[in-house]
Amino acid sequence: MSNETFRLSSARLAVLYVLIVAVGITSVLTTVYVLTARVLDREVDAVIQAEVNGLVEDYQQDGLLGLISTLHTRSDSWGRSGAVYLLSDPYGTRIAGNIARWPNQIDSAGRWIEFEIDASEHGGVVAHPVRAQVFRLPSGRRLLIGTDILERKRLASRLSSAMWWGSGLSVALAALLGVAYSTRVRRRVGAIATTCENIMDGDLTQRLAIEGAHDEFDELSAAVNQMLERIGQQTAVLRTTFDSAAHDLRAPLYRARVRIEEALQHPDVLGSSREAMEATLAELDRVQRTLGTLLQIAQAEGRGVEMELEELDLAALAREIVDLYQPEAGARGIALICNATAGATVHGNRQLLAQALVNLLENALKYVPAGGHVAVGVEPRAQTVVLDVADDGPGVPAEDRQRILQPFIRLERDRQQAGSGLGLSLVAAVIRLHRATIELLDHQPGLLVRCELPMSASAG
Amino acid sequence: MMHTNPLTTTPGKPAIPAAMQLLLIEDDLQAAEYLVKGLRESGYEVAHSADGRDGLEKATQGGYDVIIADRQLPHLDGLTIIGVLRQKGDRTPVLILSALGTVDDRVHGLKAGGDDYLTKPFALAELVARVEALSRRGNAGAAEQTRFRVADLEMDLLGRRVTRSGRNIDLTTKEFQLLEYLMRRPGQVVTRTMLLEGVWNLHFDPQTNIIDVHMSRLRNAIDRGFSKPLIHTVRGAGYVLRDE
Repeated sequence: MSNETFRLSSARLAVLYVLIVAVGITSVLTTVYVLTARVLDREVDAVIQAEVNGLVEDYQQDGLLGLISTLHTRSDSWGRSGAVYLLSDPYGTRIAGNIARWPNQIDSAGRWIEFEIDASEHGGVVAHPVRAQVFRLPSGRRLLIGTDILERKRLASRLSSAMWWGSGLSVALAALLGVAYSTRVRRRVGAIATTCENIMDGDLTQRLAIEGAHDEFDELSAAVNQMLERIGQQTAVLRTTFDSAAHDLRAPLYRARVRIEEALQHPDVLGSSREAMEATLAELDRVQRTLGTLLQIAQAEGRGVEMELEELDLAALAREIVDLYQPEAGARGIALICNATAGATVHGNRQLLAQALVNLLENALKYVPAGGHVAVGVEPRAQTVVLDVADDGPGVPAEDRQRILQPFIRLERDRQQAGSGLGLSLVAAVIRLHRATIELLDHQPGLLVRCELPMSASAG
Repeated sequence: MMHTNPLTTTPGKPAIPAAMQLLLIEDDLQAAEYLVKGLRESGYEVAHSADGRDGLEKATQGGYDVIIADRQLPHLDGLTIIGVLRQKGDRTPVLILSALGTVDDRVHGLKAGGDDYLTKPFALAELVARVEALSRRGNAGAAEQTRFRVADLEMDLLGRRVTRSGRNIDLTTKEFQLLEYLMRRPGQVVTRTMLLEGVWNLHFDPQTNIIDVHMSRLRNAIDRGFSKPLIHTVRGAGYVLRDE
């Protein structure tokens, strides 16, 4: 199990589940085993004890001879009752009983001992375990009274193996369940995440799958789907509103432009009237551009629309645009340089990224005085591509840096400058659309605009 | 059309082209009136439709060199009209006019089979230049043509060489591409946005006069030291490469 997998909470949960099941089952079965074994042991001991009591009685009544005679009688029935007797002299030589010799390891009296004797059974020799108690008689003779515990041992061993199999099977089942559960959770969460990513990429028509299991995932998916439905409706309304606003504002602008253009074609429109009309035309074009930019921002922020995305080399695009603006910078006496490192592939919309870069560049060229510098940098990092536009112009005060990314926000000192106050907002919208970040930093002196875009997965 | 008009085939004289036939489908009557007038003054024959259904009917009758269709029209929108035409195998160039002007809208328009796209409001000169480009596309220099000549200016794409009066002219890559764009359209007005689209593949209105700076550099390289300039500025429209 890789670290990555283990970090998933469902996998952790599954492992925890298996552990708990293993500990639980094992302790239950162990308890059962221990208790059963003890009951069996007690039973054996009680049988032996009864035997001992009987023999002790015989010994007290009839002396040694009585004991020997009883032992003889009882020994015949060995094999059925499973009783084991041995009376020996102080040196361990057999006097009476049903086993041949004193077992090797034993000589302490009054103690419970266990040993094995061989008995022929079904033509083979089987070692029978025996549990016994040893007594020392006053004459120095020794008496061993025991019972064959083969059946008990067999039972215990069967019980123990049943316990092991049971635990093993339970744990295996638990593990299987755990893996199945964890896989299922991971699969469903993965499916939800994939759908969410697709939706973030702009396909608002996607919905989370409902599997009909009536589980928490279905409940969650249904809620998210309802939310998406609402967002989709709102986006559609917003889009229609914007489209009709665009149409309804552009149509009159267009007619106004047409009228002025038409009037300007009359050769008798001269001097100040011609100038005024040409200025009006330029003003109309400015309004049109502002409207266009606003629509683009709305579109980029809306994200509810499909964007034409392609794999593109941001370095190449930066070089193209720097090349496009090189003569303009030269004319303004500004040194414009481009440091673009190859391999900066991003998944993006070429036109929007170009527009963003142009806005940043035009901004820099507008505020940097002659003799200043503007540098465009593109640098691929581990997972991202960093796009920098740096200048050594007047910069932006720290407290305004976040603010000026909003539409229509302009710095007080720039009020006199031409501009709509939308350029940077469009940049911010485009950057956000590309799931990238934008930061305005102090370039000491000047402004550094740093955008960090996710590097395209298909790039080496 | 050209081959049916004997006047245009008079040998030894420059051909007088028969008027190109345009179809304008535009529901804004005031704008349409002005556009029809302006296009006629530029030498085109123009038919007008005020709604999509009528426009499609006229378009399917054929005989137009270029169709100019508004995106949003009553009854049938511009993209549907293009779709129907293309399905019938009609390849007549279509210029889409749109009041939307977003990046997506442009892409949709071109994907639907449109050949060019213009956002309202636009200058008449821009429309005329684009219509001219579309109408000439059929008989313009083929894509595989590699040598061009305008007056004493020669361009060899394979050798990446430009000469004027036999003298070698050094150009940067972009200047070369810019000149190629002009050489492929001799005598044809190209606007700044057409250059930005055609040479840089950028579709937006630059705030500054960046194209002019590039053109003045190209002009310096091509025309300086020669008595007859070849690159001309067309006021309010753009540029033209022409021997005059």
